Amino acid sequence: MADWTPGMAGQLTLPYPFYIDIVTKRYFDGVDNKNMTQVLNCFAPDAILHEATSDTVHKGRDAIEAMFAKLFSDFEQIWHGNFVHTGDPQSNAICSQFTVLITPNGGEQLRYENCNRFYCKDRLFQHVFVYMSGDNLLKEGDA
Amino acid sequence: MQYEPGLSRAELIELATKTYFGNVDAKNMEAALDCFHDGALFCVQTAFTRHSGKAEIRRMFEDFFGAYETIVHRDFTCTVDEANGRIAASFVAELTDADGSVTLLNNTNFWRVRNGKFQEVYVYMSGANVLV
Repeated sequence: MADWTPGMAGQLTLPYPFYIDIVTKRYFDGVDNKNMTQVLNCFAPDAILHEATSDTVHKGRDAIEAMFAKLFSDFEQIWHGNFVHTGDPQSNAICSQFTVLITPNGGEQLRYENCNRFYCKDRLFQHVFVYMSGDNLLKEGDA
Repeated sequence: MQYEPGLSRAELIELATKTYFGNVDAKNMEAALDCFHDGALFCVQTAFTRHSGKAEIRRMFEDFFGAYETIVHRDFTCTVDEANGRIAASFVAELTDADGSVTLLNNTNFWRVRNGKFQEVYVYMSGANVLV
């Protein structure tokens, strides 16, 4: 196969529910419950998470882990819901729109209307793009 | 499903990238508006901006077409959910104003299609909102 690019043709095609489930039942369930292992198990070792609205790039699972460690530490409550998915087995990708309710430690709850584009390679996230309706919450980790 | 699916994968891609953006880039107002239902919603989520109905969408495009000499949308990567009448696409928007200044945006759109036209469009921008 040619070098992998996001959404390229000719990839492994998984059942439609796989894409919905990895986004909601595995990834965001792990984020909302601060379950780092569950979150990281969704990513390929050399995955890239790119926050597009601030052009912040986290390269590799270690950088992604550091970013989530900071997020989990800085916010006492995180919730993702109201999902609408555009799932596409043929391109091994899913794009999801959703609401985020997130509360900084000791602060007021914030509401975001975000979207993510998840591009899989085999069964894992290889490249994830995040768009936020407010200030970037996925900052570089302190580790 | 949110709306009855109707268009094939190829037809959804054609509607979003060619019929819609092709006519936006050519500043063909009537043809671009013809992609929308009369009561369509056009939301720029990254700016909490909503244009409701064709009249408001027309006004938005009038300002947009007037603000830039040339408008080019290119480098589409499409994600298609044919069974649910939805398509998302990432793309580059290259906007050149009368002074020659170029604005480059890496955006993502989501279209929800009912009976062959847009019922809802959601735009996520990498920079300042140009669809005010």
